[in-house]
Amino acid sequence: MASLTLDKVRKAFGPVEVLKEINLAIEDGEFLVLVGPSGCGKSTLLNLIAGLESSTDGEIRIGDRVINDVHPKDRNIAMVFQSYALYPNMTVRKNITFGLEIRGVSAQERDKAVADVAKLLQIEALLDRKPSQLSGGQRQRVAMGRALVRDPDIFLFDEPLSNLDAKLRVDMRTEIKKLHQRLGSTIVYVTHDQIEAMTLASRIAVMKDGILQQFDTPQNIYERPNNMFVAGFIGSPSMNFVNATLIDNNGQLAVSIEREGNPITLPLFEAPESYKAYAGKKVVFGIRPEALTHKRTGSDEPGSQYVNFDSKVEVIEPTGADTMTVIEIAGKEIVARVRPDRAPTPGESMTFSADMSQISLFDPDTELRI
Amino acid sequence: MADLQTYSHDAGWKNTVLRGLLYLVLILFAAYYLFPLIVMVSTSLKSLDEIREGSLISLPRVVTFDAWNYAWNEACVGVECTGIKIYFWNSVKMAIPAVLISTFLGAINGYALTKWRFKGANIVFALLLFGCFIPFQVVLLPMSQVLGKLGLASSTPGLVMVHVVYGLCFTTLFFRNYYVSIPDELVKAATIDGAGFFTIFWRIILPISTPIIVVSVIWQFTQIWNDFLFGASFASGENAPMTVALNNIVNTTTGVKQYNVDMAAALLTGLPTLLVYVLAGKYFVRGLTAGSVKG
Repeated sequence: MASLTLDKVRKAFGPVEVLKEINLAIEDGEFLVLVGPSGCGKSTLLNLIAGLESSTDGEIRIGDRVINDVHPKDRNIAMVFQSYALYPNMTVRKNITFGLEIRGVSAQERDKAVADVAKLLQIEALLDRKPSQLSGGQRQRVAMGRALVRDPDIFLFDEPLSNLDAKLRVDMRTEIKKLHQRLGSTIVYVTHDQIEAMTLASRIAVMKDGILQQFDTPQNIYERPNNMFVAGFIGSPSMNFVNATLIDNNGQLAVSIEREGNPITLPLFEAPESYKAYAGKKVVFGIRPEALTHKRTGSDEPGSQYVNFDSKVEVIEPTGADTMTVIEIAGKEIVARVRPDRAPTPGESMTFSADMSQISLFDPDTELRI
Repeated sequence: MADLQTYSHDAGWKNTVLRGLLYLVLILFAAYYLFPLIVMVSTSLKSLDEIREGSLISLPRVVTFDAWNYAWNEACVGVECTGIKIYFWNSVKMAIPAVLISTFLGAINGYALTKWRFKGANIVFALLLFGCFIPFQVVLLPMSQVLGKLGLASSTPGLVMVHVVYGLCFTTLFFRNYYVSIPDELVKAATIDGAGFFTIFWRIILPISTPIIVVSVIWQFTQIWNDFLFGASFASGENAPMTVALNNIVNTTTGVKQYNVDMAAALLTGLPTLLVYVLAGKYFVRGLTAGSVKG
């Protein structure tokens, strides 16, 4: 177990810069998830930590040890790959112990280590099979066993669940989380799936175009996204964005949204200091679907965090637990999350409640959070 | 319903005719290719008298292996009348090392070109590929000079070297294309496990290369065993490979033309490659298509 620090790490392939000054630090036992759309540089970053590629600039430390020029095998890391990368010619047992064998661990110790890991992952019955005789989920377990058996400082996972079907993926996700809780190991995990990121991470690093967008706990990233990209990427269905103006409404700041006929005015309940500089200016109003629902009880009382407005309903999409209700405001489609028993029919007009304590405002030019 | 039945009846009749035609054509082609072999085998089993009396295509009245025995033990190659057997062993001594070395080097080349990509790997591969298209005749003179300087002229090791150099392009191409389909993550995983270039090659890559090794061995063995030009140019006299010796037996101008001995010697020369195909042929086809199958 060890901490991991990335200090101003850069990576360029010729003139193309794929990672721009990445600074990250996690404590011993943390679960860091690198998340972002394809091509954002998250896998390259993982390869740098693994030592499969070398950084152009900056420093990578495991514990207090600078590992930039250390060979992968001496970094005391273990990696689980997307394709599992099991050695097809070896049995499961051989696959798991190959690394130990290369390192000169005695046969006795290897047998004990493989027995422990097999028990932990419940793959004892598979030890003498070849990878081709295993199902996807079993291969996944063996790949994890190969990493676990080495008892490394840091585990690296490169999209380990993306080759599994949906049901199995959820199961394995829980299992990885359990494993982390039991072993308390330091993990760096790459995924493009924001739900995986939210459920697994102790901290998330959101990346885009080789730039670290935000590095924080899942809840902070969800509630206080740094910019519009993070706000839109994390959460499903994603955050609604509407162009609006911040106005002074009788001494209280309010978000005003232009709408044919009757503009919507949403007074801000306890507006933060930072909003004041934007009074009278254009902003992007961001609200998550679950903060926008059917009319809440108590929303008519003065000083309530809920603000009501009416809108015509365009489309409804029932999901069972909630009904996603699509309305149109200022030419934008907005999704509200409504309880099924309160769900409207399309074409109907309905009163919605916006929870103003859960909104985000962004600068329309820089797209940064205000 | 009635219409449908008439239709299917028609179609069935048509199918039978077409199928009959197809078989007829296939049988004709098979006969075309088999006929020379039949003539060779039957002639080699006849006595010289019978050959003179009977027709070319008649089967032997009395089967005798005298011609085979004579070709193997007594036939005259040039002035030496030692049979073709010493040249058979020459060919074995040339083909086996050349096949093994060129296959092994091709495997290492393919592995390095795909899994340890270095700057200019594509150019190196393109140049190697270019070697596949150089005609044998072009390199005869420079090669003989090189062999002379190395002191390997007119020797079996010299021939081995020539065949290794010439075969390298093909074997590299085979192995490179096979290894391209093997995921790079396998090598990355082994690197993290602590294995180096050769450990990964021996323990992981080579054990999963059986299909392409078979392809390479068959291809190289056929090429090297059947080669005449290099054998005739770079090895002479008692070091000549079997193909050259066969030519010398058949083209001897003195004495009576012993057709049965010629045929037996030719069959003996062709036998090893035939044997390799029979033993490993199914792997050959499997290996050629192996790239498309996920491991």
